[in-house]
Amino acid sequence: MRRGEVAGPGATAGRGGANGRDPGPSSNGAVGLADRIAGTTLLLLAGAVGIEATTFEVAFLADPVGPKALPFVVALLLAIGGLRTLTRPRPRRDVHLPDASSIRRIAAGLVVFLLYAGALPWLGFFLSTTMVVAGLAVLFGGPWRGGLAAGLTLSAALWLLFVALLSLPLPLGELWIR
Amino acid sequence: MDTLRLLLNGFGVALQPLNLGLALAGVGTGTFVGMLPGIGPINAIAILIPVVFAAGIPPGSALILLVGIYYGSQYGNSISTILLNVPGTASAVVTAIDGYSMTRQGRGGPALAISAISSFVGGTLSIFGLVLFAPVLAGWAIRFGPAEYFALMIFAFSALSSFAGGSLPRALASTGFGLWLATVGLDPNSAIPRYTFGRIELLDGMDFVVVTIGLFAVSEVFQLLTESDAGRSTAAAFGRVAVSGRELAASAWTMVRGSGLGFLVGVLPGAGGTIASFLAYSTEERIAGPDGTFGDGDVRGVAAPESANNAAANGALIPLLTLGVPGSGTTAVLLGALLGLGITPGPLLLQEEPDLFWGLVASMYVGNALLLLLNLPLVGLFVRALLVPRWILVPSVSALAFVAVYAVNGSAFDLVLMTLFGVCGWLMRAFRFPLAPVVLGLVLGPLMEKNLRRAMALSGGEWGVLFDSPIALVLWGLAAFSLLAPTALRRWTPEPVGSESPAQENTG
Repeated sequence: MRRGEVAGPGATAGRGGANGRDPGPSSNGAVGLADRIAGTTLLLLAGAVGIEATTFEVAFLADPVGPKALPFVVALLLAIGGLRTLTRPRPRRDVHLPDASSIRRIAAGLVVFLLYAGALPWLGFFLSTTMVVAGLAVLFGGPWRGGLAAGLTLSAALWLLFVALLSLPLPLGELWIR
Repeated sequence: MDTLRLLLNGFGVALQPLNLGLALAGVGTGTFVGMLPGIGPINAIAILIPVVFAAGIPPGSALILLVGIYYGSQYGNSISTILLNVPGTASAVVTAIDGYSMTRQGRGGPALAISAISSFVGGTLSIFGLVLFAPVLAGWAIRFGPAEYFALMIFAFSALSSFAGGSLPRALASTGFGLWLATVGLDPNSAIPRYTFGRIELLDGMDFVVVTIGLFAVSEVFQLLTESDAGRSTAAAFGRVAVSGRELAASAWTMVRGSGLGFLVGVLPGAGGTIASFLAYSTEERIAGPDGTFGDGDVRGVAAPESANNAAANGALIPLLTLGVPGSGTTAVLLGALLGLGITPGPLLLQEEPDLFWGLVASMYVGNALLLLLNLPLVGLFVRALLVPRWILVPSVSALAFVAVYAVNGSAFDLVLMTLFGVCGWLMRAFRFPLAPVVLGLVLGPLMEKNLRRAMALSGGEWGVLFDSPIALVLWGLAAFSLLAPTALRRWTPEPVGSESPAQENTG
């Protein structure tokens, strides 16, 4: 199959065989675990959105449509998506759940991102950005010295661009101001 | 003649030093982000929106920059496709078939040259189409009332859900998710809070820049974390970026046909560059018949998709600018930028802001000429960017995303929100839900709700008003057709081409 050789958008040479992400033939007829998770999540979300929408009461109706209509449509769309995902098997291309090492790496990335959001007001832009760039660089397999150098350069460049040139306020860090 | 005069005025605007500089910056950035897998035009535009606001660039000039990134990325996306077999965006997937074959045969240089020339032909011919059709469509759309706009937006949603790649129910769920995000905040009519979870930060609603950067850029960082970096720094030698007159002559008509086909597909909501390039490729393969060496390094296999995806990108600007209704994720982000800059796209734009519209059109001619110059002799410089190791590239892009998101409201809460959407986007990719409908729902949702309410208020609560006019009926018919047609087509064709590539399609 010629077209099958072409990697998807955003894909790299490493994707595919190396990670076992290649779709390949899948369980014919049966709804996979991933589809069951996705379908159930969608149905739960649809229910929550719909139930919450019933509380949108207005004293007098300014317009005939009201604030509930679009949320109900949303609940309907999510429910359709959820039900079809649960009932219709996907024979051609099944979803593969990410493996344990992928989840570990993503969890590490997630911690770095959330740490940045937490640290930014306290440590200030310069220090937080340097640390986060260095941390991500190490996560992506770079040397920590190189990551630190990249972080310092980038923080300085962004500070110059945004604060000096565009006069956009970036946090200095409450820790140092006190 | 009137059009010619307006266009000449437009060149006056486009050639002002600031605008010329911004066009160059836009197309340069566009080539760069189109080429690098994982960044993409949608992220670049979303990241630059707060920067443009902060810098206080005049709206027309800001638009020249952002649209420059948009069409410039269509040039760049073929570079990594041809040299590394790694498409920069989904619309370049089909270019890999013959483009990468040419590279393996040592003809990478000619492949890059033919790709740049085809992109230029597709780009400029379709601007010509834009000049011809935009005023016609605008003149027609001036009669649209709220009911017609509502029907048009339903058409845009159903078309994108249908063509977004993957299964229709999943795309509908994505659309629903985007519309849900659109309802977050104070309801403009009744002033009651919807889905704010008691957070003051959410009363103003979700900012589309925060959501877009989270869904696309941050989720891409998570995605890249799960992949190995092996086998990258191997850009093949590609020789001189030039093409022989014989090969150029052989693909001349291919480029013209690809441009026409791409333009038509691009004007339609939902379809976009991915479908245009597949259609152009398979059409040319059929026309060439046994004479062609398609799949084995035929120049026409590069010329067809590259002219088509550039033409489609420009064609998609017509509904965005003259109707104010985008048909893809990236044009939805452009609409968000326009509204943020205080420009209301729609049929009145051409009359009320002729300098802005015609200045943009003229700048696209200038930008395409610059792109040809950048891509023929300077492609080697761009290729060097492919060799930047990922441990430098990805953290740098992340830092840019942080600053852009922080700049929106100056609050760290948005950074948390962005990260949550990053997880959400990564999960959606892993579970094969398309992301583009989320952005379309978020940006277009408020406009759709407003038009529905306006139509119903005018009719006094009579739902029949939505189906009252012939225009509205035609639009409802098109919406129904776009939902049903692909399912019907799938019955006939055993292996639809669109489903081969992963779910994050049609972001261009």
